Amino acid sequence: MSLIKDKSYFFLLLFVTGISLAQKQEMKQDSVQVEMLEDVLITATRTKRQLSSLPLPATIVSKKDLKTINAVRLSDILNEQSGLITVPDFGGGEGIQMQGLDAAYTLILVDGVPLIGRSAGTLDLDRITVGNIKQIEIIKGASSSLYGNEALGGVINIITDTPKYGINGSIQQRTASFETYDTRADIGYKNDKFSISGFINRYSSGGFDLNENTITNTVEPFENYTLSAKATYDFSEKTNIVLSGRFFTQSQDNIASEILQGESTIDEWNLHTKLDHTFNEKWESSMEFYATNYKATEFLNDNSNNTRFSDAFFDQIMIRPELRTVYKASEKASFIGGIGYTYETLDRTFFSESPEFKAPYVYAQYDGNPLKKLNVIIGARFDNHNVYQSQFSPKLALRYEITPKLAVKGSAGYGFKAPDFRQLYFNFTNATVGYTVLGYDAVPEAIAQLEAEGQIANQIVPVSVFSEELKPESSLAINAGFDYKPTQKISIGINVFKNLIDDLIDTRIIANKTNGQNVFSYTNINEVYTQGLEFSSTWKITKNIKFSAGYQLLFAKDKTAEEAFENGEVFARENPSSPSFQLESSDYFGLFNRSRHMANGKLFYKIPKWNSNANIRTVYRSKYGIADSNGNGYLDKYDDFVNGYSIWDIAFNKTIYDKYTFGLGVDNLFNFTDPQNISNIAGRIIYGNLTIQF
Amino acid sequence: MKTIKLLTFVLLSIGFIACSNDDNDVTPVLLPVNSEAVSNLHAPQNGGQGQPVSGTFTKFNFATGQETTSDTEWDIAFRGTTIIINGGTSLGTTDEPDRTGNGAVYITDGSMSTVTEVITENLVQDSSSSYAIATGSGNGWYTYAGPPSHLINPTPGKIIVIRTHDGKYAKVEILSYYKDAPANPDAFVDESRYFTFNYVYQPNDNVTTF
Repeated sequence: MSLIKDKSYFFLLLFVTGISLAQKQEMKQDSVQVEMLEDVLITATRTKRQLSSLPLPATIVSKKDLKTINAVRLSDILNEQSGLITVPDFGGGEGIQMQGLDAAYTLILVDGVPLIGRSAGTLDLDRITVGNIKQIEIIKGASSSLYGNEALGGVINIITDTPKYGINGSIQQRTASFETYDTRADIGYKNDKFSISGFINRYSSGGFDLNENTITNTVEPFENYTLSAKATYDFSEKTNIVLSGRFFTQSQDNIASEILQGESTIDEWNLHTKLDHTFNEKWESSMEFYATNYKATEFLNDNSNNTRFSDAFFDQIMIRPELRTVYKASEKASFIGGIGYTYETLDRTFFSESPEFKAPYVYAQYDGNPLKKLNVIIGARFDNHNVYQSQFSPKLALRYEITPKLAVKGSAGYGFKAPDFRQLYFNFTNATVGYTVLGYDAVPEAIAQLEAEGQIANQIVPVSVFSEELKPESSLAINAGFDYKPTQKISIGINVFKNLIDDLIDTRIIANKTNGQNVFSYTNINEVYTQGLEFSSTWKITKNIKFSAGYQLLFAKDKTAEEAFENGEVFARENPSSPSFQLESSDYFGLFNRSRHMANGKLFYKIPKWNSNANIRTVYRSKYGIADSNGNGYLDKYDDFVNGYSIWDIAFNKTIYDKYTFGLGVDNLFNFTDPQNISNIAGRIIYGNLTIQF
Repeated sequence: MKTIKLLTFVLLSIGFIACSNDDNDVTPVLLPVNSEAVSNLHAPQNGGQGQPVSGTFTKFNFATGQETTSDTEWDIAFRGTTIIINGGTSLGTTDEPDRTGNGAVYITDGSMSTVTEVITENLVQDSSSSYAIATGSGNGWYTYAGPPSHLINPTPGKIIVIRTHDGKYAKVEILSYYKDAPANPDAFVDESRYFTFNYVYQPNDNVTTF
C-alpha cells in the first residue's frame, strides 16, 4: 500500500528545476513543463496555487502515483505518505492519523466539499475508490481558517478527474488475494463548451480472518458500488457550471455469533453544483451548492428462534450553499472571501432526539507577496452555531526564499472540531452489561429518568454542570520548516510541528448505578499535544531511477497524565499479581496508538524501452500501545506494546500497444500480520490488473 | 528486562523490609507490626451480570489473620468483586451480613511502602445506599479490562486503609483475583474470586502509623 507524499517533492524538484533552468536559459524544456502544469493545488487557498511556493506543509498525490502503485482505495495511498498512517476503527473501517492526531480530526473533502458519515468519529477511507481521482491534496496543520469544523489536524481533498478532449475512457479489472475484485470503468466526452463523464466501480472482498478460533471474521465479506457522474458547461469564456453527483452503496455480512447474524449496509449520495463567473481581470465569483446523505443500517437476527435481535440505523444529511469571491488586487496580492451555511441533521438509534445543526459562516484570506521573496497568507473564519460556542479561526503563514535553493516557511493556525451529534445526544444502555452512555445534552433528562426508576446509586458529577455548553475541541497548530534543493537531483524538506489541543472531549463517569455499573458522559477535560518532526526527501539517481524517503518523529501526550506522573500519582505492577510501585515521569509513553517513529522508503524504476515501470516500497512504524494493560489508566512503559513492524510492497506495470496496461504486484510481501493487535493488516496480497484505455 | 524487573522487585522488597525493621527498633514497647500475605481467599457469589446477586460473604479478621464465620468478629468480607466493611449499615442485598463493629475504610493512591499513616477523616462506613469501597471497574480496587481478555485485575497503586471492627488499623494491597495469583492470568482458564493480598496490621491501640 503505499507511497506518496514524496511525489510532491518530486514535482517540487522538477518545478524548481524548471525555474532555475528558465532563469539560466540554458536547459532544454522537455517534459518538465508538463509536470509543472500539474503542480498546482487548490486546497490551500481555494484558488489554483503552485505547490512549490506554498508556505504550508502540503503534498500532492497525482493520478500517475496512484497508477504506479496500483492503489484501489484511498487508504492504500494515504498509508504510504510520510507522517500519515491508517488506523483501524472497530467494525473494520480505517481512518487517518495525521501529525499524531486522531482520525476524527482530519477533514476529508471531495472537490472541496466534506464527506460525512462518521458514526463513531472516524470516516472510513475504504469507502473511497481512487478510480476517478485526478489528484489528492494533503494539507497538514489546522486549516479551520478556510474549512471550519473538523479541519483540526489537516485537510485531505480528493480532486476528481475531468475528461480530455474527444471521447475517451478506460476499463480496469483487478483480482487480488482474499477474493478481492475491483472493476472500474470510466467514460468521458469533452468539446469546447461541454464535458460529461461517468464512472462506475464495483469492489468486493471475501473478507479475511486473523483468528480462526472465532465464528466471526476479522473483516466480513462485503460488496460495494460507486457511481459518479460529472458535467461541465461553459456558457461563455467567463461563465461555466459544474454539476457532479456520486452514489455509494455497500452491503456487508454482520456476524455476532453462530446464532446472531445479519447484515450491515451503507448508502451514501452527494450532489455538488458550482457556477463560476469571471467579471473582469480582477474579480471572479463561485456559487456552490452541496447536499449529501449518509445512511447506515445494521441488523442481527436470532437464528435460534427466527426473531430480530437488534436493529440500528444512522441517517445523516448535510446541505451547504456557499458563495466565494476572489479579488486579484495585483500580480502580488489576491483576496478570497466566502460566506456559507451548513445545515445538518441526524436520525439515529439510541438518540434522545433528532437534532439539527445550523451553522452560518464567513471567511476571508489574503495571499500575496509584499516582498519579492516573501509570501504571506493571512486568513480567518467565523463559524456561528445553534448548539455550541461560535468559533473564530485565524491563520498566518509565511514563506521566505533565502536563495533559489533554500526557502524557509512557517505557519500558525487555529483549528476546531465541534462536538458531534453522538457526544451531545446519545442515550444508550448496554442491555447485557448494564452501563449507560449519555450525550452531554441528554444528561439532565436521562439522569432524571434513571433516578425516578431508582437506578442511580450515587451522583458523582452534579447535573447542574451540564447546563453549561460543551465546548468544541480546539487546537493551535504551529509548523516551521524549510525546503532545500542542493542540486537538481535532490530535494529535502523538513518540518517541525506542534499541535496544542484544548478541551479534548472524553468520557467520564458521572454517576454510579445501583447495578454496580456506571453512567458515562462526555466532557471537555484533557489538554493534549502532539509534536515532532517530519522529513521528506527525493533523490533522482538517474533519469529513470528515483528514490524517496520520509520519516516522522512524534511525541503525543496528555498534559493531565504528565502532571499525574510528575506528582507521583501513577503506579504499576511488574505483573498483575505483584505489588505496586510508583512510576516516574520518564515512564509515561504518551497517547495510545502513536508510534514514536514512522518511516517510509520507495524506489521507482522506469524502463522506457519496455514501456514498463517497477517499484519497491516500505513503510515502518515503531512500537505503540493500544491498551492500558496494567490498569493504572495510563500508557506507561510497563504496559504491553504492539511491536514495531515494516511492510514491503512491490509492483510492476507494463503497457503494450499504448492501450493495454498489465499490472502485477505483491502488497505486504513478507506476509506480516499481528492477529492480536492489528485488525486491518490481512497478510500478503498478490494482485493482477489489466487496464484498457480508449 | 527480566533481570531489571527482578532487581527492582528485590530492591523494593529490601526497602520495605528495612523500613519495618526500623519501626521495630524505634518502638520496642509496642507489639510488632508485621507484613502478612493471604493467598486464595475464596469469595464465591451467585448471580451477577444483570441477575440478582446472592451468596455468603467470606469474612476476614486481621487480628487473627484468618478467615472467619463469626457474625461479629470480622473486619472485611468479600463476595465476588464486592468488599464490605464491618461498620455502618447493610445495603440490604441477599445474604449480606449485618454490621456489628465500628469498622471503616478508604482507598488511597500509593504503594504499601508509601502509605504509612492513616488519615482518619477519610474513613467511611458502608451505608444503605452504597458501599464504602465503591463497586464497578475503576471505582474501587479493580479494573475490568473488557473484551477480549475480560480480566479483572487489581488497579495498581490502590491501597485499602482499614479501621477494624474493634478500632485497630490495617492497610491492604490486593494482588490478584485469580486462584494461585498467576503472573499472567487468563480469565478463561484461571478460576476467579480467589483473593490474594498483602496486608500490614497495626495491633496497637490508637497508633495510626504503619
